[in-house]
Amino acid sequence: MSGFFDEGLAGVVATWIAALLTIGVWAYLVGERRFFRLAQHLLAGLATGYLTVLAVREVLIPRLIEPLSADPAGQLLLWPALALVLAMAGARWLPRPVVAVPAAILVAGIAAFALGGAVVGTLLPQMAGAMLLPGPASTLLNGLVGLVITALVLVAFLHGVPRGRLMAGAAGTGRWLLLGGIGGWLGFLLVSRLALLVDRLQFLLGDWLGIAR
Amino acid sequence: MALWWPVLLLALSLAILIGPALTEGTLQLANPDRTRAAGVQAAFDALPDDALVLVALDADLGTYPEIRPAVRAALDELLSAGASLAFVSVSVEGRAIGVAEQARLRAAGAGEEPLDLGFVTGVEAGLVLLVGDALPAGASGAIADAVAEEGGGLAAFDMMLLVGGSDVGPRTWVEQVGTRLPEVPMVAIAPTFAEPELAPYLRTGQLVALLATVRDDAAFVESVVGPEAGPTSTGGPPSAAAMLLGMLVAVVVLGRALVQALPRLRRSTPRPAAEDDEA
Repeated sequence: MSGFFDEGLAGVVATWIAALLTIGVWAYLVGERRFFRLAQHLLAGLATGYLTVLAVREVLIPRLIEPLSADPAGQLLLWPALALVLAMAGARWLPRPVVAVPAAILVAGIAAFALGGAVVGTLLPQMAGAMLLPGPASTLLNGLVGLVITALVLVAFLHGVPRGRLMAGAAGTGRWLLLGGIGGWLGFLLVSRLALLVDRLQFLLGDWLGIAR
Repeated sequence: MALWWPVLLLALSLAILIGPALTEGTLQLANPDRTRAAGVQAAFDALPDDALVLVALDADLGTYPEIRPAVRAALDELLSAGASLAFVSVSVEGRAIGVAEQARLRAAGAGEEPLDLGFVTGVEAGLVLLVGDALPAGASGAIADAVAEEGGGLAAFDMMLLVGGSDVGPRTWVEQVGTRLPEVPMVAIAPTFAEPELAPYLRTGQLVALLATVRDDAAFVESVVGPEAGPTSTGGPPSAAAMLLGMLVAVVVLGRALVQALPRLRRSTPRPAAEDDEA
């Protein structure tokens, strides 16, 4: 059971709406597209409304309007930040050098956080873990296999470089290994989606029909 | 109409009629792996009394049903051990799920009322902000006071329970928060597709415990609610009928896709790799 709905009338109504919408979406499988389209529009509308409420209630009011109205002189960083946001919003009408400033700050900030985190939090610890952590022979073998696979896949991405027969073979092997990796990942994805399907069936059979609690 | 639909309907009908009788409603995952479930239990057992636990709920609506029983079992386990929970989200869908889970906990009256740290924008930048200042303006209550006493940042927490999805996941938390607060243990619950990405963090110790497959989740839920428990609102395995139906539908749909794809696969001949490279 999802456990999100109340026991009362509101819960019953919500369960019925959710059940009918689930069946409406599945109706697409038998070629009935009107219910599916209705569900799509409903989802888009609800998502837009939710995003708007979230932006206003949890971002704009508590983090912008309230601090600025409570202490306008004390918010030394919020005023320039607000000016940059307005410059981005008015990008269509403002000269390019003006818009370039907030765009550059935005891109540089995202890149700095993401790249810094990836290097310090993933690349270096994982390299250290692969090379330095003591372990049994099987761990060493796993590491070597991983190293070989990584090297072969990287060779597959070498484009525009003159290759001999050996390198061409390595690149072909790397490409097949890459396909195998993607296939494996798709298998994991399929299991996730299957769990989602089971959950929906559980909802219909248990919460809605009450025959498989 | 193609033949596969009547076959599907017949199979589903048979599954509904015969499945629960055959399995007596106790169809379980045949081989739940208890190693990682034991790791989560050990991490929970290592918590001090009256621990402060941050629940970073960044799951998404498309994958949360898979991990929902494990997440609820973990929340129940923490609350029953006397831990105080605080919820925060840096993803939009995670915030919706976080609000719903907090409402469910309040309605159930389980443990101390959780502290809502709200939604923080900016993902990576937001996480860095949280490290130093996690308390929103106007936050009150015993948990908020305890966090404020410790400086108001994430360092006040004894553990972080990271609930991930396809958008923002434990990896982002490890990269942005784990590198700044390596002393705070991180436990992750994520959907199956995130397992290959997160398993290396478990090996390096950046995550102290991880549940990232259906088998892990089933083993953990079983360890918390017991093997005989059925599907409940607080978490439990799905019913036998739902699992049978889901498997059947998946097999039929996949089989149909394969049958349709086979003629195309036979017609197309792959180009030799060497020839492709020269081009």
